Amino acid sequence: MSAVPSLRGPWRSVAFRIALNYGLLTLFFMAVLLSIVYFQTVVGQRHHIDRQLTLASQRLAARFAQGGAEALAEQIGINLADGVDSDSEVYLLQGPDDRRMAGNLPAAAHWRDLDDSISSQAATRGGQPARLRVLARALEDGSLLVVGRDLRDQRQVELAVGRATLAAGLVALLLVIVGAYLFRLDIETRVAAIRRTAARIEAGELHQRIPGADQSDEFAGLSQDINRMLDRIEDLMAGVRHVSNTIAHNLRTPLSRVLLRLRQAQRPGAPLEEMREAAQTAVREIEDLTVVFDKLLQIAEAESGARRHGFAPLALDDIATGVVELYDALAEAQGATLALATDDAAVVRGDRDLLASAVANLVDNALKYGGRAGGPAAVQVQVERRNDTARIVVRDNGPGIPAAERPRVGTRFHRLPHDPVRPVPGYGLGLASVMAIVHLHGGRVQLSDAGPGLVVAVELPALEA
Amino acid sequence: MWRCLIVEDDAENARYVAEGLREHGHVAVVCRDGMEGLQRAVSEAWDLVVLDRMLPNEVDGLAILSTLRNLGKKTPVLVLSALSALDERVRGLNAGGDDYLTKPFAFSELMARLEALMRRARSGPEVRELQVADLRVNLVSRSVERAGTAIALQPREFRLLAYLMTHARQVVTRTMLLESVWDYHFDPQTNVIDVQISRLRQKVDTGFSPALIHTVRGVGYLLSDTGEAAVE
Repeated sequence: MSAVPSLRGPWRSVAFRIALNYGLLTLFFMAVLLSIVYFQTVVGQRHHIDRQLTLASQRLAARFAQGGAEALAEQIGINLADGVDSDSEVYLLQGPDDRRMAGNLPAAAHWRDLDDSISSQAATRGGQPARLRVLARALEDGSLLVVGRDLRDQRQVELAVGRATLAAGLVALLLVIVGAYLFRLDIETRVAAIRRTAARIEAGELHQRIPGADQSDEFAGLSQDINRMLDRIEDLMAGVRHVSNTIAHNLRTPLSRVLLRLRQAQRPGAPLEEMREAAQTAVREIEDLTVVFDKLLQIAEAESGARRHGFAPLALDDIATGVVELYDALAEAQGATLALATDDAAVVRGDRDLLASAVANLVDNALKYGGRAGGPAAVQVQVERRNDTARIVVRDNGPGIPAAERPRVGTRFHRLPHDPVRPVPGYGLGLASVMAIVHLHGGRVQLSDAGPGLVVAVELPALEA
Repeated sequence: MWRCLIVEDDAENARYVAEGLREHGHVAVVCRDGMEGLQRAVSEAWDLVVLDRMLPNEVDGLAILSTLRNLGKKTPVLVLSALSALDERVRGLNAGGDDYLTKPFAFSELMARLEALMRRARSGPEVRELQVADLRVNLVSRSVERAGTAIALQPREFRLLAYLMTHARQVVTRTMLLESVWDYHFDPQTNVIDVQISRLRQKVDTGFSPALIHTVRGVGYLLSDTGEAAVE
């Protein structure tokens, strides 16, 4: 872990910020919901009280209209004694002289100041200050009827709801913070695994892979992608190492030969003839090296993909025809046959020169190896269109390539086991170049057995003709 | 005799080219700096410019080339370069180069290409029929006859012969043939061009005298009734 600088401070963690932001959003929604609940409970309750007050006042006024002040006072007495809501019910019948005639509220002149709507008032009940909801009604005989409700219970409910809301909010906030930390911890563990692996790879341990890629979540997916990329990079590195080794070998061998010859020719008293010969050999060897260099550069160029911007629609017919017209004289001179079958529907996007070079390589090989199985070489070049694929197939009647050798074919400088009697000239770069060119064009090379002979099929994505 | 300007920063290479040209009786001036090369290319009259693609300092080969062409100068220019990639070649030719040669090269290859450039620069009106000794090639009807006998050639053989005839008494190299007759810029491993030429020779020279198609050892081919290249 020491190689990976840790993420300092919770705010620098994306996971923490995401979890926290999400938690705060949840908290906000919760607050909104709780306010609605609070509002509904408290305000609803208040409306209910007001309605009851209005009803009670009307009922008592009707009683007064029926039986006068005595009947009203009696009814108030009954109401207060019936045991229903007697804690919170408040009544007052105040005579014209502002004396209390009935009820449980002290008489006071200021009750007369109330208009006929319901309002909240402060009062003293049983020696205790209280808040009341009251409705005053002036009666015909000059007395005043006050109906009210002590808001103490209501207050209790409001307080209870408020406390519950606050408690719920605090618990939620706590959960959000703890959740954010846990979430962050989990993400950080997963990320740390990736970062650790990256750090090790940076330090040169290219075989390292991210653990836990066998799970099925997003991080496992990411880990799998990275692991696959690492596999590919490792392959490429191995390839590069192999190539540099083989290049070094293939260049150093002729170079040391040249040096040896030149040094020998340089020694005092060497005959002129030998010097001239040494110079000739040197020129020939260096020319050969130049060819190898050109071919390696061509492969590298194809592999880099730089040529793709020059791609244009091409008929494979034209390419095959051009190459066959280049090699027909050679085939004739060797007593070989070189046949061409065309199909004008095989059109691809590509680089004419590169594709021609690839086909030339294949035809060259086919003519070289075709005659090795006894009898003259018979080479067939066939252009065809199969659904979305445009193909150039080069078929020979040579010894073919054993199935076990096929995967290694196309590696730079890889050559088939030599026939010691009649070695085939070449550098072992032909098929490597063909494969690089075909890959550049988004196609593939398939080798199969013609029994006897080799079939090389170059398959390229076809364009609509 | 040509007046040649060689703009090339590599001293060894410049000397090699200049001495080769002088041996052929031409005047060769070497500039090893892009700025000086640009000045001399623009201010003096040259028959031919050999230009290195990459030069030190601000001014590179292609910049000299574009300036020259923008000034309306049609001096034949051959671009030399260590950059072999095809798009580099295309850039060189697009900038107004007449030919492009990749290093390392043999002097004979350079010379053959320069000859072809000079020939092209001096070429007259469009020709319809070519003749060397008793070999006649009609470019319009695409027919070939030697000493009155018609010779049947395949289309590509005809183009090969036509190219040799257009460059009669002039050495052409294998790559020049591959580039002009097939329009290929790669090097086939096998000596396909040699075999093509010997088949053409079979059809054109066998049974006739004198032999017209000659091999120039280590360089290429020459179509000539005397067996020798014309001396400029």
